Formats: sequence, structure tokens, C-alpha cells
Amino acid sequence: MTISGFIVRNAFRNKRRLALTVLSVAVSLFLFTTLQTALHLMTNPPTSDQSALRIVTRHRVSLANVLPEKYQLRIERLPGVQYCSKFTWFGGIYKDPSFSNFGQFAVDADRIFKIFPEMVVAPQEEADFIKEKSSCVVGGKLMERFGWKIGDKVTLLGSIWPCNPELTIRGVYHAHNVDETIMFFHHDYFNELMNDRGLVGTFWIKAASAEVIPDLIARIDAAFRNTDAETKTETERSFQLTFISMLGNVKLFLGAISTVIVFTMLLVTASTMSMAIRERAREMAILKALGFNGLDVFGLILAESFGLAMTGGLIGCFGTKYLFAHVDIYKLSHGNIPLFPVSGDTLALGLVVAAVLGLVSSLAPAYTSIKMSVVEGLQELD
Amino acid sequence: MVQIRDLTKVYGHGEIEVVALDHVGLDIAAGEFLALMGPSGSGKSTLLHILAGIDRPTSGQCLVQGTNVAELSETDLADWRNTHVGFVFQTFNLIPVLTAFENVELPLLLTALSAGERREHVTAALELVGLADRMKHLPRQLSGGQEQRVAIARALVTDPTLLVADEPTGNLDAHAAADVLGLLQRLNQEAAKTVIMVTHDPKAAAYARRIVHLEKGELLNEEGQTQRNLSMGFAK
Repeated sequence: MTISGFIVRNAFRNKRRLALTVLSVAVSLFLFTTLQTALHLMTNPPTSDQSALRIVTRHRVSLANVLPEKYQLRIERLPGVQYCSKFTWFGGIYKDPSFSNFGQFAVDADRIFKIFPEMVVAPQEEADFIKEKSSCVVGGKLMERFGWKIGDKVTLLGSIWPCNPELTIRGVYHAHNVDETIMFFHHDYFNELMNDRGLVGTFWIKAASAEVIPDLIARIDAAFRNTDAETKTETERSFQLTFISMLGNVKLFLGAISTVIVFTMLLVTASTMSMAIRERAREMAILKALGFNGLDVFGLILAESFGLAMTGGLIGCFGTKYLFAHVDIYKLSHGNIPLFPVSGDTLALGLVVAAVLGLVSSLAPAYTSIKMSVVEGLQELD
Repeated sequence: MVQIRDLTKVYGHGEIEVVALDHVGLDIAAGEFLALMGPSGSGKSTLLHILAGIDRPTSGQCLVQGTNVAELSETDLADWRNTHVGFVFQTFNLIPVLTAFENVELPLLLTALSAGERREHVTAALELVGLADRMKHLPRQLSGGQEQRVAIARALVTDPTLLVADEPTGNLDAHAAADVLGLLQRLNQEAAKTVIMVTHDPKAAAYARRIVHLEKGELLNEEGQTQRNLSMGFAK
């Protein structure tokens, strides 16, 4: 027998309590990891290597204000611009408002996949998309969700814009760790339906290199200063964070729930450890009588509590990872959550929480046990 | 081997002070089998606890092989207990989740012995108490007498200076009690172990070479007088 073997034997002496405690820690860590993943996704939207090269130009006042189409020519002429595409959120209704929670954007068909190379579409399909003005390209998950296939007709009813694009699906894009639930269609077609008013929501620009971005941002905004529609240009990440800030206190709310979960776990584990140690007060005294000193006993309690919390933590954290890797979260959330990747950082945070939990919850019972004299311990249950 | 000088133990404070040991003096030679007898509350267990290093006196000295046990720090005292004292308790106090072998091995986990050496020591101790065939049994699978013999093996396995037994037959039937006492006697006579046993049972005490009586925290002499009564008599 070894000391670690002795700790394991002690942990397993009440199997039902062990199972329930590990399960409670695991479920709590599952919730914690899930909430942290949600929080992480909100505050750190998925990015790719390419996203560092992209910048977005919008109206300086708000996203609800539009820019003139003619800005595109001036932007494209600026040094450091590789590609520039119009990018207008359509926000139409497909069949029913409850089905319509997917992004629909009017874009420049010949540039959009150059600006977003991580969205991969078959060359022939891209060529077909570029060629046909009323065509669209759709993300793989969206195709799957609605059971669409190439050649299907899709009509969007404008809820913001007064037009109803009738689109033919000509391509499917796939991407790893990037939203696969977007529909792209021709901005020219949208403009035509809007009676050539030349309105654009945003311009998405791919810079030639990351180094030119700060200068490019300044140049674009300077180019349109003192016009009727001044611009605000920012990096893709900064643009995404603008949306996040609109969520207001959701971050605080999720953070508060996470804290409550951790605190509840702490109470459950501390209570279990206290019960386990109180039941064994006499045995602790025996160990001391046999020559184990206070630190040895503290170590035994600490190791048991730590092991218990970490077992629950590992089950909870990796259970979350496994579950969200194997469950179609997009289908399960009816299209509201396209991706739910549990990151390594979130797993590490969950395990750190479990470790701290194991250590902290053992402190009070360990202290009591250390302070109790051998004689007092031997008198327990006598 | 053991010199106890002017040992006093007082529990509580102020008005609710209880004097468990009152200026006790006692010498125990190496290889003795001493029985400490007395009624409940006489202080015999307190005296045993102090000389075994699991309790501390209020005043006085308790020297075991020249070491004043009362002056050791908690950590040193724990080490000292591991090396010098083997405990046998009334309620056996085996760890229920460990087998007989593992219970006996427990004090050796604190030593530098290898797993193989530990196995040899444990096997020898269990053979000595006649339980080599019960090594893999859990305490609940053993009779009371067998449990107490495992406890004796655990007390012996570190080859301690002192073997202290607190009412070792208190929870045993007459037959098992005779077995355990016979074993303690054999260990004393054949292995020259110093055994100090607390008991209130005269039959158990009869196994010892010397019997010491305590009453109200004081040692009695052969005439049944306490040291204080004697000194009061001299004063008169």
C-alpha cells in the first residue's frame, strides 16, 4: 500500500456519497464551462488568420445609417487596399419570421470569397454565382437546416428594405470554425430591386498587409470627412465587439451565474469533506497516534478533497467538450447558435476552478482535524 | 527506561478545574510489564496518554529513554511516537477500509523502508500474533480477538520502545481476552518488550509483572495509601 492508495481507499469508503459529490461537481462544472463558453463566444467572436487583414467601413453615426455606393471607388484607389466589397445586411423573412434567424447579405459576388478566403466554395459554383445576378451562395449548415440543394429557389421578403429578392442557390460554402449559416447574394441585384438608389450598409475591405491597416483606417475616414455621410472604419474584431457591447449586461449576468455556481460547488464540496472528516475524527486521531503529524493529516485530507473535485472537474469539463463536439448545437438551438466550440482556455479555467475548489473546501475540515488533539479524537464516539 | 517526576495534569480552567494527575512519580524499567489499575476517573488513562506522547502534562517531567516527552514539538512528538510507541486501544481502532496487512503496514508508511522491506516486517508481525492467514481480511471480516491481535501487530511492527495498551481486553470475551493478554505476556517475556497496560480488571492485571494503583490522580503504595496521605501522616 502507498499513501496515495490509502487516500483512494478513504475516498471510496462511502461510494454513494462519493458518486453524488463527484456528480454535483461535474454538473456544476458542466454549467460553468458552458456559461464560460457562451461568455467567451460573446466577448471573443471566432476569428481566423484572415480576419486580421479585414477592416470594415460604416456610417459614422450608426450602423442603421447607409453609405453611398460611390464610396467604393475612392476606397479601392487607396494604397494598401487589396479588395473591397459592398456588404449590406438584408434581414429578410424566409417563409416565417421564426425561420429567418440567419444572416442574409448583399455583397459583390466577385470579391466576397477573396475577402473571406476561409469560406471555401467550389470554383465552378463560385463562377456560377458570379455569372448569375439573382443567384446566391449559402453556408453548409444553412443548406442542411432547410434541406436546400443547388438550384433551389429561395424568396426573401424584405422587412427592412422594400424589396423581395428571388434567389437561386448556385453554391455552398464550407468553413472550419466560422459561421456556416450565412446567405450571400448580389449587391447589384439588391440595388436593382431598390431602383438603383446606390445604398450600402458597410464596406468590407481586405488590406494588403496587417502593417498598413492603421494608416488605411485613417485614410479612409479622412477621405470622407466633412461629407454628408462621414465614415467610421475599424478592424473586423473591433466591429464585432461593437455588437457585443449592444448585449449590455448579459456579460455581467453570465458572470454572476458562474460565480454563484462556483460558490454553490464550494459549499457542497466543503460540506461533503466536513462530513467525511467528522466521521473519521477518530481515525485521524489514530493516524496521529501512529506517528502522522498535523501536516501529514492535512495532506491526506487535501489530497482527497482535491482528487474528488478534480475528478468531478474532469468529467464536467471534458463532458462539456465532448457533448458540444458531438451534438449539432445549430440544429438544437433552431439556428440561433451556429457554433459552440469549448476552447482550451475555457477547459483550463474550469479545471483551475475545480482545483481551487478542492483545495479551499478542504481547508476548514483539515484545520479542525489538525487542531484536534489525539486524546480528543480518540474520545469521539466513545 | 521511563522516569515520571512530579507529573500533574489539570483539565479545565478556573472554578471547573479537574486534577487528573496530582504530582505523580513513577519509574518503569526496560522489559517491564506494568499494569496501571484504578477506578474510573483515577487518571490511569491520562498517565498512559502522557507517557505515550499523545497528551501533555500541566507540569512535571516524563522522561522516556532520557527524552522529556513533554518538551517535544508536535511534529517531533509525532515522529517520536512513530519510533518509540506502539498503541493498543480498547476499541481496536483499525482503519475499516484497509486489510489486516495494510493496517499493520500503516505506521511503516512514515518510514524510509522499501515496499519489500515493509512487506517483510508486516508479515513477521502478523505471524507473531498468529494471523498470517488473515492478511487480506478487512477488520469487519475478523472477530474481536483477531482485530485486537491485528492492532497488536500494528503496535509491534515498528519495533517500538514501549507497547502501551489502554484496556486492551475491555471489548473482548473471556477467551479472546486471555489470548490477547497471553500474547502481550509472551511479547514481554520472549521479546523483552516493555508493556504498560491500563486495566480495571484484576484478572488482566495478573498477567503483568508489576501492578500500580491510582486513585483520584495519585499513586497508591502497597498499603493502598497515596503519597499525599503518607506525607500528611508524617506531618502528624
